[in-house]
Amino acid sequence: MKRREFILLIGGALAWPAIARAQGGAKLHRIFWVSTESQPDPFLDGFREGMRALGYVEGKTVTFETHYAPGDPQALRKIVSELQRGDIDLVVSSGPATRVMTAVTDVPVLFALSGDPVALGVVKSLAHPGTNFTGSTFLSLELAGKRVELLKDIYPKLRKLAVFSNTDHPGEPLEWRATLESCRKFGIEAAYVPFCGAREIENGLMAAGKVDADALLVFPDVVTLVHRAKIAEFAIAHRLPSMFGWSEYCDAGGLLSYGANQRTTYYRLATYADRILRGENPSDLPVMRPEKFELAVNLKTARLLGIDLDVSSILFRASKVIS
Amino acid sequence: MTDGAAQSSSCTMPPRRSLFCKYFATLFVAAVVPLILGAAVEASFGYRDQRRQISAVLQADARAASDRIEAFTDGIRDQLGWMVQLPWSAGDDAQHKIDALRLLQQVPAIVSVSLLDETGTERVFVSRLHLNRTGRGIDMSTDPAVLGARANKVWYGPVQYQRDSEPYMRIAVAGSLPAAGVAIAEVNLKLIWDVIAAIRIGETGYAIVVDDSGHLIAHPDISQVLRGRASSGSFGRIKHLAGAASGAAVITGDQGNPVVALSVQAADVGWTVIAMQPASEAFASIRAALWRSSILIAFGVLIALALAYWRAHRMSGPIKQLEEGVERIRTGQFEHRIKIFSGDELQQLALRFNEMASELAISQQKSARIERLKQFLPSQVAELVEHSHELLEGQRREVAVIFGDLRGFTAFSTRNEPDVIMAVMREYYEAVGAVTTRHEATLIGFDGDGVMLLVNAPVACEQPATQAVRLAIDLQMTVQSLAGKWCDAGHAIGFGVGVAMGPATVGTVGYNGRLDYTAMGAVVNLASRLCNLAKDAQILADPTIAGRVRDSVPLASLGQRTIKGYDQALEVFAVAPADLPLKAPGSGQRRREKEPQDY
Repeated sequence: MKRREFILLIGGALAWPAIARAQGGAKLHRIFWVSTESQPDPFLDGFREGMRALGYVEGKTVTFETHYAPGDPQALRKIVSELQRGDIDLVVSSGPATRVMTAVTDVPVLFALSGDPVALGVVKSLAHPGTNFTGSTFLSLELAGKRVELLKDIYPKLRKLAVFSNTDHPGEPLEWRATLESCRKFGIEAAYVPFCGAREIENGLMAAGKVDADALLVFPDVVTLVHRAKIAEFAIAHRLPSMFGWSEYCDAGGLLSYGANQRTTYYRLATYADRILRGENPSDLPVMRPEKFELAVNLKTARLLGIDLDVSSILFRASKVIS
Repeated sequence: MTDGAAQSSSCTMPPRRSLFCKYFATLFVAAVVPLILGAAVEASFGYRDQRRQISAVLQADARAASDRIEAFTDGIRDQLGWMVQLPWSAGDDAQHKIDALRLLQQVPAIVSVSLLDETGTERVFVSRLHLNRTGRGIDMSTDPAVLGARANKVWYGPVQYQRDSEPYMRIAVAGSLPAAGVAIAEVNLKLIWDVIAAIRIGETGYAIVVDDSGHLIAHPDISQVLRGRASSGSFGRIKHLAGAASGAAVITGDQGNPVVALSVQAADVGWTVIAMQPASEAFASIRAALWRSSILIAFGVLIALALAYWRAHRMSGPIKQLEEGVERIRTGQFEHRIKIFSGDELQQLALRFNEMASELAISQQKSARIERLKQFLPSQVAELVEHSHELLEGQRREVAVIFGDLRGFTAFSTRNEPDVIMAVMREYYEAVGAVTTRHEATLIGFDGDGVMLLVNAPVACEQPATQAVRLAIDLQMTVQSLAGKWCDAGHAIGFGVGVAMGPATVGTVGYNGRLDYTAMGAVVNLASRLCNLAKDAQILADPTIAGRVRDSVPLASLGQRTIKGYDQALEVFAVAPADLPLKAPGSGQRRREKEPQDY
């Protein structure tokens, strides 16, 4: 055994100079960035940062072709045909854009979804996608109830909750159902304020103002993210403690947010992009899920609201405090 | 003839394995084999040392990883221990809940915490994903976590893969007081990644963690873990192979490349930490040494080649020269000399060879002289001249002298042309020479148509008289048959012979290199006289011969004859053998030149 190993090693040793390390090389990789977000896009920045950390130089070894259709996934349908060009190495689809990308079968697609990719039908299982799709899911459905709970913790007097939801968002009904169930458990009346797409957001907010709720829950979604400042402003104006999905909302004036760090998720997505560009098959790369959830609280907003909030029940477990 | 040609051609053919090749191969092997052996021994010892060192490094790294993983689980265990310090009392669920939430904040890997009272009923449940619960909840008293924790204070659950992808595990801790209940934490094992990813062995080596049944728990490439149980097959194999070896083992790693692996048990949780380093990296230094050795060997081989070539050439060159020299000598070029100045035995050999060649030249000259002598001397005499000087020294001994003489030759020679005469003479001389040789007698010389032969000198023989008589008979018969032929050609030539025996002085006489062997004494004269007396076809012998051969050869006495130079008459005998036709047919027609007397 030892002798054989030794011989093997000698053989390997002599063959060594012939073995060149497979590198990404100087090839220019084309990445299609498809998003329903608006610009500037914090998620693209996170992804770019990740690619840079992995040694990619924009313009030299990687180029991004960005396609934005803020809040309107349907507008992206026509770009699917552009993928037939054949010089695209990878598609990265952010959020609801993934739903449109299901038509793509011959180019690897990396997604960052808030919903369940198995339910969406783009992968066969989380452990073994088995298709040209892989990526990251934010687990937002499981967190929907948790957000109601946290809102109740900070504002124990909560009786009526306005749930502001973009019906254009995939998986929205499931999220609403989870929220409703949670509200029922806490004895909270849930006031569903749906709106469809960016065009209706103004009307939606107007409707939310009329339901006479004690607090506002906003589903994390591209349209609400784009208009996060407006929504936060609305909540403060109406003295509504607000709850969001991502800390970006808190940065813009939201009171609370609970969810995975999006930027980290996109940063990690870059490692998958690197592996796919190096030749790995997306069908072998398991779908990633966040294991760390950020609880952000904006104390400035808490003060601005001027209502009786149990901030201490949140502070000791907050991972991000904006003051 | 053909055999000889074949033999000579096979001699000149170059040998299949020349000395050059043999010398070259031997010198080459002598230089290269120790070099290669040395390198191989060095490499094998180096390999062993390197392996031992790698084992030590991997052992340390695996132990460190295992310690950190134990610290990770111990940290959770200790934190859970805080949860179960005090016995449950009514109304403190809220405080417990805050403690549990704090625990979540403290330990990111914990996904949820359940706090149970002494009856095994859930009192507090907090989670990062699910809604928190307080107050009396479900009865978990039969949960293996509760049973395990109550039995051993601490219970580590099996690794489970959520949605067959993310590894989770439950850890339960029971308070020292049964009334303190049990705390159960659900731990996301993905968080161990931080521990494992931080471990770098060498440049590209890493550590992985597998559970008892070979399922992957932690890997620097998190996606390996997220593949769930499906990928556990290869890790089970790695765990088995690494565990089977006492030290580090060279196995096929999870990426299909050979790795050096060593496993260490993390005692509490029953997991195995396997530290791996790609063999190519682990053995880089030995590989470098091998390369160095290889280059040295290549260098040595080149030098050995050059040296062996030079040495073998120095050896085979002179030998080829010698071979050529021998060949030249064989073809008779004795003047050929070999020039070798190597200052060693080969030069000595060349020197000896040259000496031999010059001696051969002398010997050749000598034998050439003998050949020349043989033209003029009896062959025995010629041989003796060269080989036995004593025999030829003048001495007195008893010899038999035979004279022969042609009858009617004078008349013949005056009547015929010289070429006819020379033809007859040539035939005559050849016949006489042949008979002489046959009877090993000594041909002293021809004197025109006469011939003188000597028996018992210089070479002694047993019965000189008998041999002389036999020779005479043979001579007479041979010449007579010739004479018959000549007669048919119209030449009347006969032949008479005289034989006498007695003491005579024999020896070589001559001058200036020209030597003659001859006999002197009365017996010579007597033989000559008897020859003169003899008629054609007759052989006359003196009484001494007659006395000696009387028993073996029939003789006829011719009575007393007066012989010139002798005072007294001498009895003369005619040899009359039965088979000798004393009167050849047609001999009567010959004219007799010498017919001294009728009988």
